[in-house]
Amino acid sequence: SEYLLLLTQAKELPAQARRLCKINDGSLHAQLLEDLHLSETTPSPQSDPVITTRKVVSKGQNQVTIEELAILKPQTIELSCYLTDIPNNPPYLTGYWTKDGKGIVNSEETVNRTNEQYILKKTFDILAKDLGNYSCIFKEIQTQVTFVLDVPVIKDKRDKPIVSYTGDSVVLACKLKQTPNTWNWYKANNTEKGLINVTANPLNYKIFIHGNETKLTVLNLTEEDSGKYICSAEFDIKPSESYIELKVLSYIEPLKPFIAIVLEVIVLVTLIFLWEKCNKPQNDNISAGENELCSEQISKLTRDDSNGVENNTARQRKLEH
Amino acid sequence: MGSAMMEKPQKTQEEQQSSTQMAAPDGGWGWVVVGSLFVSSALVFGLIRCLGVFFVEFVQYFGESAQAVSWITSIGLAMQQLMSPIGTAASNVYGTRPVVMMGGFLSGLGFILASQATSLLHLYLTMGFISGLGWALVFTPTVASVMQYFTMRRSLAIGLGFTGVGLASFAFSPLFQYLVEVYAWRGALLVLGGLSFNMIACGALIRPLGKPKVVLKTENLTKLNKCSSLLSRIFECFELSLLSHRGFLTYAVAITFFNAGYFIPYIHLVAHSRHIGFTEYQAAFVISVTGVADIVGRVASGWFSDLGKIRMPHMLVVWTGLLGLSLMLIPVAVVYSGLIVISVVYGFCAGAMTPLAFAVLPEIVGIGRVLGALGLLQLIESVGGLLGAPLSGWLKDCTGSYTVSFIAAGSFLVLGMLVTMSLPYFWSCTAPPLPSPSKRKSQDGSIEDGLLKQTLSLNSVPENLCPLDDTPYLDKELEK
Repeated sequence: SEYLLLLTQAKELPAQARRLCKINDGSLHAQLLEDLHLSETTPSPQSDPVITTRKVVSKGQNQVTIEELAILKPQTIELSCYLTDIPNNPPYLTGYWTKDGKGIVNSEETVNRTNEQYILKKTFDILAKDLGNYSCIFKEIQTQVTFVLDVPVIKDKRDKPIVSYTGDSVVLACKLKQTPNTWNWYKANNTEKGLINVTANPLNYKIFIHGNETKLTVLNLTEEDSGKYICSAEFDIKPSESYIELKVLSYIEPLKPFIAIVLEVIVLVTLIFLWEKCNKPQNDNISAGENELCSEQISKLTRDDSNGVENNTARQRKLEH
Repeated sequence: MGSAMMEKPQKTQEEQQSSTQMAAPDGGWGWVVVGSLFVSSALVFGLIRCLGVFFVEFVQYFGESAQAVSWITSIGLAMQQLMSPIGTAASNVYGTRPVVMMGGFLSGLGFILASQATSLLHLYLTMGFISGLGWALVFTPTVASVMQYFTMRRSLAIGLGFTGVGLASFAFSPLFQYLVEVYAWRGALLVLGGLSFNMIACGALIRPLGKPKVVLKTENLTKLNKCSSLLSRIFECFELSLLSHRGFLTYAVAITFFNAGYFIPYIHLVAHSRHIGFTEYQAAFVISVTGVADIVGRVASGWFSDLGKIRMPHMLVVWTGLLGLSLMLIPVAVVYSGLIVISVVYGFCAGAMTPLAFAVLPEIVGIGRVLGALGLLQLIESVGGLLGAPLSGWLKDCTGSYTVSFIAAGSFLVLGMLVTMSLPYFWSCTAPPLPSPSKRKSQDGSIEDGLLKQTLSLNSVPENLCPLDDTPYLDKELEK
């Protein structure tokens, strides 16, 4: 009884007092106090107390619905499928879950009808290896709702490579809706990924990180800088990656069509002038050429009509000076 | 040319020299010059229209805003218009051919230098100033030359020449996209510079019809001292006497109004279509349909006005009136098919107006002064262009929709149409009085009477017989 009295008194004591008792008194009493203390608190659940829930409502039968979920960190998530507008309103349906097309064992459930709705829920603990496509499937009516669980995907990828020139600089950018913990850039050489370290190569690389976007500037480009660049958004659960391809050209590349076109222009202009000069004898006074080879006499006769540039400017000069 | 030669002994020496050079062949080599105008307008305005592909790249590379990048085109277009008088003055002195060839070289040079740009300022200077100057030296003198080569079929020739712009817009868009993908913007600009050099060949094709006007005049003024002859030369080169010409000034005001309203739909039609709820592809289709109607309108109107059934200023008024109306009706079209119909009407009228706006100029100032007139007109109408677009943008920002800006554009056109109606000799149904050396109005002969026109074109001598001035330039660079 004395023991019991001690116990009840211990309960009402503030926490500090309990600790004091624990040290000063005999170890047995201390033990009991500790046990009491433990049994009083409600045990907290082992998993994360915050459970995300996602619900999709599907109307009618033979429906396939897809819902994308961005998972940033390991978490427990409850997926629910709500079915409505089922013809004939059967009293119950059978539903089960699959991951990536493979059925999950022991996931089959009988769903009773409640207020014209059929509800199938399941809670999943998601770690990196658990990311995938989870589907709830209702056998009788061929209705399926798929939840795509994945890290955020970096969109607006260019399917064409970015082109730049040796000695020039280029900016590669990646952007996401969510903000990752950090961004990393890698250069891919065949199957290997090499991290781009700005402190090791300050002359060649610059990395700019601002929340949900990142930019990698590659300076002093050389042909070896061509290849695949990977931007990686680091999340708690798994990194999200996207690649950009860079092609570095030498200046000779565009010079080839350029020189071809310039040559074509030179040929055209020469042809035009030659044709004009050689056709001069046939035209009375219309066009003029100055070439003595073709039309010496005509140029004398058609002093008025001569339109050659040199003649005009020559006459101008004669007049003025 | 033969009949022109016959007139020599009857006229003064100056007229003699110019009349032999002035008679328009109306065919033959003239069509080659039309081809040259086709390629030139394609490489100037067709190219400008498709520069949007580069702007995306510039924004990304230089990190500047889209508005800062769009200044490149604005500077280029402004240079093209403001420097036009210099182009025509130079043509008056040296002849069209060397000026156009130099212009082609400058346009190409601008783009080649632009490919090495390391800042947006470099692009302003190269693509804006240098290429813009090159375009000024190419476009106006080429149009002038076409007008010189044709009298009877002037409008058709100009209309055909301008189709180059529309067709180039179709062809250049995918081409530029491809060039940017393969060579990045630097290489693509380099290739474009080379393409622009083709305008040098176009210039080479323009065989002069006579000596440049100023050269003729100076040949006769050897007695005057240098100072006054220099001033009078400048006066002649730039055709500044036109600034006191009532017909020219009226027309300049009218063209300025036209310019203010003309470009607004080009800028806003896509945005408006998206705004009222159509998809990207539907909006793009509207633009394509408008472009095709534009090309058809140019040729059709040029051909029809050359038939001579209706006087050119009257036709111009008809087309601009219809254009203004269709612009004001664009906001009314909410159904897709209605928008397509209105856009076709708009495109056709806009295209129909273009050759006329240029071809009517000789009737107002005389073929002799057309070169200078074109240059000055371009300069004056640039005000309209510079005001029109920002005004419509501001109206859209104020009211939240494009309705008011379309109505404003339409009213500018109607206003221009009303001003056109106040041109001298507008209200006469018959041909304007026979040209005499003292009169400076409507010398090209009216178009109503085909026969009369033919005799007039052969016998009438514009006050300033200047072969090069014969080309009517309509400052409409509707190609923009």
